[in-house]
Amino acid sequence: MTTTDAAKPDAHYKAPQVAGYADVPYEEKARLFDLVKSDLRFGDYLYGCYECGICVAACPSARFYDFSPRRIAQAAAREDVELIYQQMQEDIWECSQCFSCLRCPRGNNPGGIITIMREVAVSNGLASAREALAGYSRIIYKIMSTGTQVSPDMLQPDAFPDWGPETGDVSANLDLWRRALPPETLHTTTTGWAVSDRTLIELYLIWLHTGSLDMIAEVDASLHAILQELMEERLEDEGIEL
Amino acid sequence: MSADTVAVIGGGPGGLRAADAITEIGGKVVLIEQRDFLGGTPIAENYAGLTPHGEPARPQIERMIEAVTSHPDADVRLGSVVTALSGEPGAYTLTVRGPAGDQLVECGAIVLATGFTHFDPGRETQLYGYYEYPDVVTLPDLESMLSQHQVVRPSNGQPPERVCFIQCVGSRDRHIGNEYCSKVCCGVASKEAIEIRQLLPGSKVYIFYIDMRMYGYWENEIYWPAQEKHHVQYVKGMITEVIAKGDRLLVRGEDTTMGRPMELEMDLVVLSVGMEPSAGTKQMARVLGVAQNKYGFIHAVGGPLDTVSTSRAGIFACGAALGPADLEDTVSSAAGAAMKAVGFLRRRAAVSAD
Amino acid sequence: MTIPIEALKRKKEHFDRGEDRRALADPRAELLDLEARGELVVQKIDRDVVTVPTKYGRDKRIQKAHLWHHKSCGQCGHIPGYSTSIFWVMRKLGYDYHDPKDQTSCTAWNYYASATSNTAAQAAVAVRNFAAANETGFFPLIHCGTSYGHYKEVREELIRHPELRAEVREIMAKLGKQLVLPEEIVHYSEWFYALRHEIAARQVRDVSQVKVTVHPACHYYKLVEGDAIYDPDVYGGQRTAVVTGLAQALGADVRNYSTWFDCCGFGFRHILVQRDFTRSFATLRKIEVMKEEADPDVVLTHDTGCVTTLDKSQFAARAHDRNVGVGVMSEAQFAALAMGAHPYKVCQLHWHSADYRPVLEKMGIDWEQAWAEFQADLKRLERGEKQFLDWDDVDS
Repeated sequence: MTTTDAAKPDAHYKAPQVAGYADVPYEEKARLFDLVKSDLRFGDYLYGCYECGICVAACPSARFYDFSPRRIAQAAAREDVELIYQQMQEDIWECSQCFSCLRCPRGNNPGGIITIMREVAVSNGLASAREALAGYSRIIYKIMSTGTQVSPDMLQPDAFPDWGPETGDVSANLDLWRRALPPETLHTTTTGWAVSDRTLIELYLIWLHTGSLDMIAEVDASLHAILQELMEERLEDEGIEL
Repeated sequence: MSADTVAVIGGGPGGLRAADAITEIGGKVVLIEQRDFLGGTPIAENYAGLTPHGEPARPQIERMIEAVTSHPDADVRLGSVVTALSGEPGAYTLTVRGPAGDQLVECGAIVLATGFTHFDPGRETQLYGYYEYPDVVTLPDLESMLSQHQVVRPSNGQPPERVCFIQCVGSRDRHIGNEYCSKVCCGVASKEAIEIRQLLPGSKVYIFYIDMRMYGYWENEIYWPAQEKHHVQYVKGMITEVIAKGDRLLVRGEDTTMGRPMELEMDLVVLSVGMEPSAGTKQMARVLGVAQNKYGFIHAVGGPLDTVSTSRAGIFACGAALGPADLEDTVSSAAGAAMKAVGFLRRRAAVSAD
Repeated sequence: MTIPIEALKRKKEHFDRGEDRRALADPRAELLDLEARGELVVQKIDRDVVTVPTKYGRDKRIQKAHLWHHKSCGQCGHIPGYSTSIFWVMRKLGYDYHDPKDQTSCTAWNYYASATSNTAAQAAVAVRNFAAANETGFFPLIHCGTSYGHYKEVREELIRHPELRAEVREIMAKLGKQLVLPEEIVHYSEWFYALRHEIAARQVRDVSQVKVTVHPACHYYKLVEGDAIYDPDVYGGQRTAVVTGLAQALGADVRNYSTWFDCCGFGFRHILVQRDFTRSFATLRKIEVMKEEADPDVVLTHDTGCVTTLDKSQFAARAHDRNVGVGVMSEAQFAALAMGAHPYKVCQLHWHSADYRPVLEKMGIDWEQAWAEFQADLKRLERGEKQFLDWDDVDS
């Protein structure tokens, strides 16, 4: 966890080993912020900030964490490179991405600014991104290789212990209960999210051509290598050269 | 009546002041008002006290009306709407549809004083529930209660213990498209807050704001007394939603200077609605062929040093037809427009006499 | 002198939105303009429509039949009664549809959770699915609130940024496809809202005793808000009308609660890897507030993530003796039940965690008997009499 403890003093003033991430030269922080600003959406997501707090009152994460969409918008509007780096290391993964903050009267999109900051954190292998995605490799593997983040066999025994015994009943009876579903596509865990060969090839081409696959190279090199091999082999089988 | 006459369209404070000023400097005026009474929004919406000093609205506006209606050079047409314009600068003809049918009015110049309308809070992009809850009202709604010297919750007729004002409703909002500040709402809300505190000394009154804008003497005439004498609570932080909880209203926002979320229960919520061009302003712009700005107000072409000239020669505008304006701005620009209009037609007369 | 309360109340009897001036232009007009300039292809609405009002007063047209069901990964994964109910209602009303096999997820759950993607990839995934729909001639209908919200975002980005359009066109060309967007982006709950009177006309179960609370999905009405349906006759036009409009048309006892606008707590990454946040938010800010203020029999919502969060978060809170215990389902399942659907064979409520049985009882459904009927069907499958149940089985 990074900043779930609201009582924690400002980590910016801490030594790296206490803060949990390395301090870097100002130029590196400025480079990261330039990457955020160069995203084509940035101009649509940030105008100016009234510092009025409408976004905070609507924000679920602000109620449970020391998190504030207003501070995200303010820091970006003030071009406070130091604070933005700190937010990229500490705050951005707490956002719920519900976009309640879009009520901003100025038309700002603090959640959208966070989406961009997260992308930069991932593609630059920031410590916060590595930590946030540590338990997440399986899901990324799934989405990139099959086009769905949760698959029809997701309810495995013990996968969701806090969801109650009913979920256990589903996993115990999964195949039989699936066969009882009237829509043909839902009959089995394999057809439940059927992705045709052609569709899968199309998806792999999208991941490869947009650089989406390469984004994870810095946070999870082995996952990146596995996915790259899988996609390239599949495309090779189809006689498609990149 | 002809080229030595100015037609003033709109009989609110701006139109009345313009008509009065025209006669003061020896001009003739025809005042055309669509309602069947003069006085404009302060009378139509039952204003209680005028901002900033809070003196009763009706007697003051009635003095303005009297000055015009009693003047021999002023011809007042009530229940009348301009439907067409012909002629040219210095010799315009207006078609006026009134109680006696269509009539032609000849004039050398025109002053547009068609004013504003209050923003309809049903279009707010925050979630204030004006059309859901009886106890969510607007500044003019409250004004009409104050004019009867009583403030109650419309839901049950009882006086409220906790009241809040929410500022910038329908103003300064990119989604709604009203990017401008409506200028008067900070002062009017504060004036009304003082009046509530005077009527209901046991009440607690809050104003939630982005920025308080009471420039010049409004600062010492309204803002300071509201805080220092009447203990109105000012909180920097906007309300994002109003929703019923039991028989009260829950308001949610952030107290930004304290850096914490707020959830407060209120008996009465007052939305400080801003200004939009009135239907009359938009309609007259079309009929007279004068340019509007992107918000629909009349476009003033002369920059900051000529606030009343429009895109068409001989047609001037004043007050809230030009954009958000308080009463002080309105009567000042009305006098300016009157001067410009009379000057225009006298110059024309001098040229044709040569 | 009297206080003019009656005049104040009269003023508020009906909200007439009138002409609205909003910052963003009409996306439909912009798409058609881009199509005219050869930049993209717009899939047109070409069948009977119901016209519905939206937040800024723009009319939105909802095609009734011949729809391409853009399914939801989460519904297909763990709430299959959700999509099954959507299909079932559509079949009952006699509208044809297509259940595609060449669809990918919108991948937005992952994107909002991990940011391991980018604008071009997300736009390409969306456009690939829309192009696939266009190839069939069926008009897309989107099952998931997040897919709907994200696709609206993608549409905005494609409209605003020519360089993104160029990049996506180039990728699509490599796939042998064009840059296709539909004339309207339509969520299934809009179809249910638009068809609510046809649905109510086929109602066979009385739901007037059922106390309902509604949870509106953030990605439906907060993300690119101008597309969401607002009806002056529902909440005075001040809140989105989907779900509530349907529940009212069915005659349910719809109740208010003070955290109506709050998010459910799904959080995208939180539901998967920070479940303490999701559980806490869903119970403390939603379920417990509803219980205390409205005492609902069921909470109806219209998005995969919201059903999941509200339904699955109550078990842990119950273990701590919190004031929880409200059945959760989509309004599609609720409407299907009202139209006589089987609670297990169609609505598949045994996949849900919070107790749905009290609401079935209020609708006059003998759930023990229904469960026995379902078990008998399962026995038939186990005996090998059939390999799968199909639509004929559920209405027998």
